[in-house]
Formats: sequence, structure tokens, C-alpha cells
Amino acid sequence: MLRFFALRLLRALITIGLVVTFAFVVLRLSGDPALIILGPESAPEAIAAFRKAWGLDEPLWRQYFSYFGAIAQGELGRSMRDGRAAMDLVAERIPATLALTIPALIIKIGIGIPAGIIAALNRGSLTDRLVMLLSVAGFTVPSFVLGLVLVLIFAVHLGWLPSGGQDSWRHAILPIATLGIGGAAVLARFTRSAMLEVLGQPYVRTASAKGVPWRQVVIGHALPNATIPTVTIIGFMVGSLIAGAVVVESVFSWPGVGRLLVVAVSNRDLAVVQCILLLVAATMVVSNLIVDFLYGFLDPRLRHAGGRSGS
Amino acid sequence: MSQTSRRSVLLLGGAAVAAPLVPRFAVAQADNRPRITIAVQKIVNSNVLDVLREQSNVGERVFYTSLWESLIGRDWLGNLAPRPGLATEWRRVNDQTVELKLRQGVKFHNGDEMTAEDVVFTFSRERMFANTEAKNRSTIRAFEQIPTPRAGKELPPDIAATARRIWPDLLRIDIVDRYTVRFINATPDVTLEGRLSRYGSDIMSRRGWDEAASYLDWARKPITTGPYKVVEFRPDVSLTLEAHDEYWGGRPPLKSIRFVEVPEVASRVAGLLSGQYQFACDIPPDQIGEIEKNAAFEVQGGTIQNHRLTVFDKNNAQLANPLVRRAFTHAIDRQAIVETLWAGRTKVPAGLQWEFYGDMFHADWKVPDYDPKIARDLLRQAGYRGDPIVYRVLNNYYTNQNPTSQILTEMWRSVGLNVQMQTVENWSQIMERGPARAVRDWSNSAPFNDPVSSIVNQHGPNGQQQQIGEWTNAEMNQLCEVLETSTDRDLRRKSFRRMLEICEREDPAYTVLHQNATFTAKAKSIRWKTAPAFAMDFRPGNYGA
Repeated sequence: MLRFFALRLLRALITIGLVVTFAFVVLRLSGDPALIILGPESAPEAIAAFRKAWGLDEPLWRQYFSYFGAIAQGELGRSMRDGRAAMDLVAERIPATLALTIPALIIKIGIGIPAGIIAALNRGSLTDRLVMLLSVAGFTVPSFVLGLVLVLIFAVHLGWLPSGGQDSWRHAILPIATLGIGGAAVLARFTRSAMLEVLGQPYVRTASAKGVPWRQVVIGHALPNATIPTVTIIGFMVGSLIAGAVVVESVFSWPGVGRLLVVAVSNRDLAVVQCILLLVAATMVVSNLIVDFLYGFLDPRLRHAGGRSGS
Repeated sequence: MSQTSRRSVLLLGGAAVAAPLVPRFAVAQADNRPRITIAVQKIVNSNVLDVLREQSNVGERVFYTSLWESLIGRDWLGNLAPRPGLATEWRRVNDQTVELKLRQGVKFHNGDEMTAEDVVFTFSRERMFANTEAKNRSTIRAFEQIPTPRAGKELPPDIAATARRIWPDLLRIDIVDRYTVRFINATPDVTLEGRLSRYGSDIMSRRGWDEAASYLDWARKPITTGPYKVVEFRPDVSLTLEAHDEYWGGRPPLKSIRFVEVPEVASRVAGLLSGQYQFACDIPPDQIGEIEKNAAFEVQGGTIQNHRLTVFDKNNAQLANPLVRRAFTHAIDRQAIVETLWAGRTKVPAGLQWEFYGDMFHADWKVPDYDPKIARDLLRQAGYRGDPIVYRVLNNYYTNQNPTSQILTEMWRSVGLNVQMQTVENWSQIMERGPARAVRDWSNSAPFNDPVSSIVNQHGPNGQQQQIGEWTNAEMNQLCEVLETSTDRDLRRKSFRRMLEICEREDPAYTVLHQNATFTAKAKSIRWKTAPAFAMDFRPGNYGA
């Protein structure tokens, strides 16, 4: 078991290292932060002074190694826009993003999974078609379009809710709904497929033939087996809690990590971008580990296989 | 003898505690001035409210006229010409010295009175110039010791460079008395008054600086003299200003102003229509009609002191011959762009100059005529063989940039120029040196009322175009020197004319497309007038009056 986790951790560290390197190369080769941050009309000597102060006049390889060395010592760097510690900037924004993504995740699970189960249990019926129609619509409409449609209806025409900002709980309703609807649609489709596959398995037919009540067949035999692919999708959703609302945050002017990422990338504010990427990578890794645990819990075969390989 | 019960003691005690609150409550009740929210695309780029760090159009909007003020102000609702500000009068002592009388009774946001000490500190090494020296000073006469910056109080690296660009030859400021100062330059300079009125020469409280723990603390809440003071600044999110009731220009008409950052146009418009915002800024021209379909709303705004240009790299193999660059300038139907993309709400200006230059403005100067035949003839004379010429553009960095660049490309192609439009992501990609660099977009502002502020600063020897190696011209560079140092107005006027001839006709460095414009949407019921600038004026007299 210990070896299993050590390997996972090593793989995660390599992944994070690659992400950091890739981001460094792409961001540094595609733009000069001095010119972008100070603007095209700024004095050339101001741009030169900025470059010197932030080491941007050094050879790229030297910038890379000094940056990587600093990360290895736990120093994530400072924002070139105002000199603040990148970690502080990102940490300030995390609560705002989680205030959207966690309720949205609850909505996704609370609506998506039951809808998928209902559709599967009523395959071919009007209910199934209706659920799938809504699911396809929710799945295919981009979040920025859905967000603007909700704003037009609930803010402009009905005047019930604010169109953007973060001043009260009411401001969170539309962005949460936008995130939740799209995610619920995805989960509904996956859950339905998984359920249909399981419902066609011999052990379900056997249980029914033995006279086990249908309700018990579904809850006791079908659902646990259908949960595995759904848990995988939910794992991805949990992994994107930190930076999974980039578009929605922009549409609703919500000051979360997503908007910070957009601003930081457009300014080539490397330390801030890297800090967010590290957090996202770490969240994904943790989320994947939790999913691995859950696989073992949900499917005893995996648990036993994992136990043997780890012993 | 009166009886004192426990209840009466409690009541008296409660009344005593509440007493100081009653008048305040009464005042608060009487203060029914409105609070407004303004949706903007960006509050500031640099995350600070320092006029020397944030040198941008968006910065101008939140700084002026609410927060920062200079000794010589600007006629914000007129033609932006200089007018008394924190100084009531000024006079020339000699070609290098201007004496200013400070307005008495001006209060900073911390309650201090503005004096000559604050003015000197504003232009000090500690605040502005760090260890830089005046460009042309002939004697080493430091007017103050270069201070060792307090830990955490060091200036960001670009500030001194920006300050020296604004004040290249400022030697020192002498205090004549508590309300009189003298600005002394190293060289004769007729633009000193203009420089005093420009973005970046604004006065701050010395005590406000001293009491701030760090530069960042100060720059997030600068103590200035404007009619509104900073209550809260959340970078990339919002800026809340509150009325400064001791403002020298009278009681501000608004209780508070809140700028909120709403990056998406559709969201800004939706917030305006739903009543969440009272103003929505940065409205693209194609949205004006849509907004004004609703009779309760209107879009104000128009031209600002900023011209859109197309810039040439004369080192490019195809553009080395000025005849080819001249062909570019004659192939553009500027008026068509103004009519189709701007709904006629801007104009084609008289080259890189503005009316507020006064007697330096050449009213008879024009941009090159739109004449495809001339363009084709010029290309024939140049022997241009149709080799590709790269035109680098950004994705709508400027309003209407995408459609403008597409139209320009087609106009150029129609006269035989093989222009290849190349969309890139940022300015460093635009300016990246190499044989492919040829044509690009830009805009130029005039921060004060003299050509030095624009054609010299942007296209002269120290300007960006020459610094990045796009263009140079020996005669132009000599004329820049004349414009910067001569006090002979006639000579300066002639020199400027010659510079326009060189840069826009003989050896084109750029060609002016149109004047830029900015548009702000608001409810018609709000009585407010827009300025011909990004600045938004909420001083007494321009809101609800």
C-alpha cells in the first residue's frame, strides 16, 4: 500500500514539475511582462527598469532555474503587478471560487445522479426522453451563453437577481445555477449510461429471477456497480473546484481564482499563474487519490487486488 | 433629595453613551446624496492608485477628477486646456522657472492643509525621482540628499523612469513661502506649465506618505486633495470612493462612487439595464443603438485626446522606400471607417495634433488624401513587386481594432499592396524585432497642450518607435531638440510643422487613422455631462445640477 502511494506521489510530483515547466516556457516565450503590464505607451526607460528589477533581462535558462530553485524552497514568488506574494493573492480568491463551485457541485450531484437513474429506469419513456433532452441542452450550451441567458431573464427582464458582482448571497445564485446546470447535465448522461449497462448484466437478471424485489435489485445490486464511472466524473469535478469557473466568473464579474488566472495570464504574471497551476495540479492529484480509494470501497475486487499488489 | 434608582442610572448612562451618536445620526439622515455604481472593463492595470505607476486610459477615468489633482488643472468639460487647480495663479520668472501661488485652505483627505512642503515632497527623490538626475543639468547641485528608502517603502522600479520622462530636466522646487513655490528647470522649457497640468504631476500629502507602512499601503489608499477619498480598493474587483466633504471646490454631489470591474460588455449592459449600475463604461460603438432602443437610457461620449495610428518599420525590406509607406497612407479611406465602424461619432483629425495646442496647432494640416490612384502610382515609382508585408494586430485591444484592421488590409490590397494580416497575442509579439516586422497598430495621446507631449515623446529619439528600432530620421531628431528647448514660439511652430511633414508625408513613421472615442451609457434621468476624455467628472456642478 505504501509503495502504491509513494509511486502515486512521485508521479504527481513529476506531473506538477512538467506543468510548471510548460507554463514557464509558454508564458515567457509568448510575451514580455514589462511591456504588457506597463502598457504600449510607457517610456522605454521605465520598461527597461522594470525588466531589470524582475530579472527579465537575464537569459531564459537562468530565469527558469532560479524560479525552479525558489519553488523547491517553498517560495512561490511575487506578482509583478504589485509585488505581493503570489500565494497571498491566490489564497484571497479561493473562498470566493469555492463559494460558487461547492454549491454547484452539490447541485450537479443532487440533480444529475437522480435524473440519470430515473431516465435509465424508465428507458424509452417520455420521462427518459425529457431528461435526455434537457441533459443534451445543458451539456451543449456553453456556460457563457447559459450565463447571459439567465442574466437576461432573471436580472434584466424579471429584475429578481443581480446581474453580477459579489456583494451578497443573491449575487451567487445565477453563477451557481450556470455551473450547476451544465455539470448536472453531464452527470445525468453518464449515470444513465452506467445504469443501463449494469441493468443489462446477468447478475441483475439473476436477482430479479430469484424474486428479489425490483427496488432492492436497483439499490443493492445495480447502483453500487453503476457508481464507479460516475465517481470518476465526480472526481474530475472535485479536481476542478479551484479553477473550474473561469468563464462563469468572467461573465458574472465574480472575483475568484478563475478571473485572477485570466488576468495573470494576460499580464504574463508568471508567479501568480504558476501558483494557481500548482494548486490546481495538487487538487487534481488529491482528488484522484480519493477516487482511487472510493473505487476500492465500491468494488471489493479492486480492493483485494490493490491489497495484494501492495503487500 | 432626589432618589437615584438603578433603572435611572442605567437610563442616564445609556443616554450619555448615545448622546454623541445622535447628531451623527441626524447628519447621516440629512445626507441624502446618491451613491452610484459604475461598471468598467478595467479599474487599473497595475493594481495601485498611483498616478506614476498607473499611466493608462483606464487609470485616468478613476483618478480624474475624483481622486488626484494637480497645481495647474485642466478644463475637463471643455477643451482640456490648462486652468487654475491647486494653484490659483502662476507666472514665469525666467525661461527656466515658473512661480506658482498655491490655493489656500485646500484640505487633504486626512484633514491636513496643503502647503508648499507637500508640493516639494510630491516632486522629491523619495516619491518621484529616486537616484535619477535631470537629463541636461550642467552642474552637480543636488537639491536634496538622496534618501535611503525605508524598508518596504522603495519605489517600484519604473516610477523614477516614468517621472523623469515627465520631468526630464526638473532641477528642484524652491519654497518661497508657505503658499508659493518655484519650479526650476535645468534648461529653458516653454512646456513647464503644460507638464504641471499633466497626468502624473498631481499633489499628495507628505504625512499620508510618511504614515503608510509601505509603498503598496500608500498606493492602495493615497491621501490626495480630490473631491472623493478612497474607502476600499480591491484590485481587479472594485474601488469605492467616498465624498471628501472638506473639498475646496464645494461639497461633492455624491455620497459615494463605486467602480466595479465587469470585463464582459454584455454583462455591463445587462447590469445597467437592470438598474444594478448607474453607469456602464467602455461601450463599443455597435452597442450604442441597442442601448438607446430603450428610451430610458442614453450613451454619452465622443472623441478623446488620443489618435489611432498605423505605424511603419522603415527597416523592413519592403518599407525601406518611403514611396511604399506613402502608398499605404493614400490607400486608406479614413472617413469610411469613421462612418461605418464609429457611426460617425468620431472624426479624422488634422494629423498627430490637437486643437488644445493653441497657437502650435496647424489648422490647415491634413492627413494624406484618400486617393487609390496616387497610391498605385507611388507603388509603381517605388518598383514594388508585390512581396508580402506583414501587418501585426492584436485582438481588439483598441475599440473596433479587428474590423478596422480587416478593412485596412482590403484597402491596401486593392491598390496592390500584398498585406498579410497576422493576429498576435500581446505587445511584445507586436514589437518583436526581425525581418517580418513591418506594419502595426498604435495610438498616441497628448498628455499636455504641446507637441512635445506627443510627436516628440512618441516618435522622437527617446520615443518608443525609435527606441525599438522601427524608425528614425536625422532632421526629425534635430527638430525635437528645438521643440524641447527653444523658447521662440515662431521657431517652435515652424519646427512642428516640419516634423509633421517628415513623419506623415516625406518619410512616414506613422499615419493617423482617426481620433479615438469612448462611450458611457447611463440612465437619461441622471443629469451628468461626459468629458472629452476617459476622465469622469463628478465634482460639484456636474451631477444632478
